[in-house]
Amino acid sequence: MNRKLGWIPVLLALLMVLMTACGGKEENSSSGGTIQIGLAAPISGTQAQYGEALRNGAELAARQINEAGDIDGKTVKIVVEDDKGDSNEAVNVANKFANNKDILALVGHFNSSATLAAAPVYNRNRIVHISPASSAPGVTDAGDYTYRVITTDAFQAKFLADWSKELGYQKVALIYEQSDFGLGLLDVYQSAATAHGIEIVAAESYLPGAKEFSTILTKIKEKRPDAVFIGGFYNEAALIASQAKKLDLRTDYIGVDSLYSRALLELGGESVENFKLIGFFYPGGNNEQATKFRDAYVEAYGKEPDTYAAYAYDAASILIEAIRQNGADREKIKAYLDTLKDFPGATGSLTFDENGDVQTVPQKLIVKNGAFALYEG
Amino acid sequence: MFLQQLANGLTIGMIYALIALGYTLVYGILKFVNFAHGDIYMIGSFIGLFLIERLHMPLIPAFVTAAVATAIIGMIIERVAYRPLRTADRIVPLISALGVSIFLSSLAQKLWGTGTHPFPASFGSVTYNVGGLIFSQIQLLILVLSFALMIGLHLFVTRTRIGTALRATSLSITNAQLMGIDTNRIISLAFAIGSALAAVAGIMVGIYYNAVYPTMGYMAGINAFTAAVLGGIGSIPGAMLGGLLFGVIENFTGAYISTPFQSVITFSVLIVVLLIKPTGILGKKEILKV
Repeated sequence: MNRKLGWIPVLLALLMVLMTACGGKEENSSSGGTIQIGLAAPISGTQAQYGEALRNGAELAARQINEAGDIDGKTVKIVVEDDKGDSNEAVNVANKFANNKDILALVGHFNSSATLAAAPVYNRNRIVHISPASSAPGVTDAGDYTYRVITTDAFQAKFLADWSKELGYQKVALIYEQSDFGLGLLDVYQSAATAHGIEIVAAESYLPGAKEFSTILTKIKEKRPDAVFIGGFYNEAALIASQAKKLDLRTDYIGVDSLYSRALLELGGESVENFKLIGFFYPGGNNEQATKFRDAYVEAYGKEPDTYAAYAYDAASILIEAIRQNGADREKIKAYLDTLKDFPGATGSLTFDENGDVQTVPQKLIVKNGAFALYEG
Repeated sequence: MFLQQLANGLTIGMIYALIALGYTLVYGILKFVNFAHGDIYMIGSFIGLFLIERLHMPLIPAFVTAAVATAIIGMIIERVAYRPLRTADRIVPLISALGVSIFLSSLAQKLWGTGTHPFPASFGSVTYNVGGLIFSQIQLLILVLSFALMIGLHLFVTRTRIGTALRATSLSITNAQLMGIDTNRIISLAFAIGSALAAVAGIMVGIYYNAVYPTMGYMAGINAFTAAVLGGIGSIPGAMLGGLLFGVIENFTGAYISTPFQSVITFSVLIVVLLIKPTGILGKKEILKV
């Protein structure tokens, strides 16, 4: 065959790559009439589904204020950058945002590792970022311009250890994600539970995105725990429960609020029945703002929002409110956040402490008949 | 626990073996690593999911249909992305394969979204207790069906005329052509068989883990490729042995040493094996043709 023609498919292949790489990216336009807020999230990669939820939540906040039209006749635009859930990419994204003077503040990042990697860039450049999901303890000291609308893992893990004691568990096995997030949970839960006299019979970790749990579950089954504490995300939690069922491991499950998603029910089916977990965003309960957000989200996207969508919505709403009240200025946004008190959010009543950490009391939840219900103990 | 872990390891090892066969069949003939193979496995899994969830097909017809459809996709990929490059430098089809891989996983994200899809089939959650050893229905299916497919492939390659042609082509494309073998068809066939096996593996994994997602081909592809190299790439029994070994070693490492170290230890084993026997466990020494 003609050697020259041989290159055509290569070019085609390259074109395909470029097309897929560029597909779906929107043009960044910065005109005087728009207020730009960044969103740094894993839009592609193994955590893309969380990125999608964050994006939907943040964009809903922007859309609502644009429809109401009460922000000096300007429109709010969410500028999305993909950090792929990767610390290196997160730093690139952070530099891009920090050096773009049109970006007033941003929502991000998702992973604690990404937030910790990117935070120095934001703090150096004095731009506020509110993480919707990074709950690792280290984020507390990440800097003055680092805020989060999710409570710390330490707070959650302590809460869960107290609850475990109330539930009368004596032997608990821990399964946690091998990351800043999972290790943070492990530390606090382990020490708090041990202090309550609960015996930790196993502590097994997995890599984010893992699908194979039968190895660690077989090990855990040997120890006959009263409950398995899951320090990870809903995808893995659902797989853990369904694979445990296939190994005939019968135990209770208790977990953090990152498990609280409809996907846990869809993926886990019967095997996640009676799962105990905590949640901040519970529509249909006593938080009116949560119900309102849920209804608006369903109308906009035709599906139920998950926790991360609610966090991103709250983070974006706070930033928009800051700009509405204090004006389009990076420093003034920070000033607003520092004086914020009891902001009515979908995830609860939000106030930042001096470290930029939010203080919200979670709700105790349980999976009953394939749906989340308030736990009444 | 030892036997239970062995059973878990063999189950996933069977899956690796099925995928590894696809790498080895193609490598045996073209000396080319089809990096898109892991994504073909993912596409096969999604097709199976589609047939079962949307068209409510029973399990067995779904397996057959998905295998055939994926085989056709594999052949099309070979025709479009690899065949025109066959005479080009060895690095060129490799790049093309990476392109196909990215294309397929992005296509899957567009078509089915970025999330994880559960398998609706209630099949597989029933468990049997055999003397303290827990087997799920799907685990038994994986063990039995994979074993049957491998025996079938072995018989096909060693006992039939087309199988003989396949082996002849893998020895030398030029000589096989001179003997009147339509080598293009044989190469297509190698891609078809590899893709069909990957599709079957994909559906079984989908049911086993109850999860089908667009990036599932990445790690599975790397592990299966490693298994193929471990067993001796280009050798069909080698791929089977390599897959099983890889699965069992991975599981035992997780069970008795540490889960985060699974990959470290498994890949260290690979390096040691290759240092002692560079062609892999069952690999043949390549005779340099002068």
